[in-house]
Amino acid sequence: MEKHMKTPIKEVIGRFPQVGAILEDFGIGCVPCSVGTCLFSDILEIHNLAPGDEEVLMARIAGVVAPGRTVRHPEMRNSRPSRSAGIAYSPPMKRLVDEHALIKRFIALVPEIAGRLDLESEGDRELISRGVDFIRGYADRYHHAKEEDILFACFDPELDILKAMHEDHRRGRARVKGILDALERRDGEGVSENLHGYAGILTEHIKKEDEILYPWMDRNLSTRKVGEIFSAFREVDERFREAREGYEAFVEKLEEQFFARSAEVSR
Amino acid sequence: MSGFSGCPGSRMVEFKKEDLPAGEGAKVPSQLRQWPVQLHLVSPAAPYFQGADVLLTADCVPFAMGSFHNDFLKGKALAIACPKLDAGQEAYVEKIRVLCEESKINTLTVMIMQVPCCRGLLATAVQAMQGSERKVPLRYVVVSLQGEILQEEWVEA
Repeated sequence: MEKHMKTPIKEVIGRFPQVGAILEDFGIGCVPCSVGTCLFSDILEIHNLAPGDEEVLMARIAGVVAPGRTVRHPEMRNSRPSRSAGIAYSPPMKRLVDEHALIKRFIALVPEIAGRLDLESEGDRELISRGVDFIRGYADRYHHAKEEDILFACFDPELDILKAMHEDHRRGRARVKGILDALERRDGEGVSENLHGYAGILTEHIKKEDEILYPWMDRNLSTRKVGEIFSAFREVDERFREAREGYEAFVEKLEEQFFARSAEVSR
Repeated sequence: MSGFSGCPGSRMVEFKKEDLPAGEGAKVPSQLRQWPVQLHLVSPAAPYFQGADVLLTADCVPFAMGSFHNDFLKGKALAIACPKLDAGQEAYVEKIRVLCEESKINTLTVMIMQVPCCRGLLATAVQAMQGSERKVPLRYVVVSLQGEILQEEWVEA
């Protein structure tokens, strides 16, 4: 078991697929992760399960990787508080979670937008261009830049969890390029496929950040560092204030347009 | 049920303990970096508040918590107050607001005892922050009568 603790989780899952299902039972989504190089021991640290849950998880995994053998479980970490029902973020993390809310509202519109897309219409082409502008301007330049340039810079760039987040960002950007390329070809299916692909990546990515990454970062940041990050975010917020308000209005308008139309159709 | 029906902040409690060893080296060096410390006496314009991580603690906290200097005071500027007994607490609100806006402090940590009246100090800090145009991260720590951390959270102000 000790040997497996220092093995990348994808390798463990590759050899023992049941381990992936057990992790899923505890809300640990390593199976769909795009990177999967985190060590098994790091996953326990990052996910901060309650001590009792961690013991059960370890016992179940030991039953798979070393059946019938007496396994000495690694010492449980007992100096940390157990995870409470709600997540209490530090103020800078709370800002990022709030920004995710707008991105999720946009993502919720993707099936509506993609489902009625007609690229022969200038209005629809304009809509896709503005959607891409939202993704690039708000999600990428404003939000992801805060993460990559300020928050992630406070941690060791070699951490697997950060590599996984960067990889998500990169895959998201590739999907955006795919949308633009398809738009240029007036390829409605290509636009739709890449929009859905982007929505899928970001949905999973936001969940990982809100539920795993940010709470873990909060547990590892000093008070001083939290203040410095908050201050750096404030400067970015001030610089982007006008653009941010514009993007909020854009999503609100889309919601009025598409969700009102959906209600009409279903009537 | 306890026969005591008065204020929990004034309730008499005795902790019967053997004398505990003072620890290695016996002397714990002070982490205090300034004087004065009482909130009425400190000037928000003092250089040690500029850009600082400020610790605002209820008077009783450092007595209850043996590791106060190393675990909480280290690296911070300090102000102390008693939300139950101090007079003129309106001045506290204004002083904290000035710390946020003009001294541009980095963070504010409020440490209070578990007794209900101590919550007043957190309320004062929140009120000051709400009145400040410049927000800073505000966190509070609740300490038990025997110096254990009962709660530690960031506050939305």
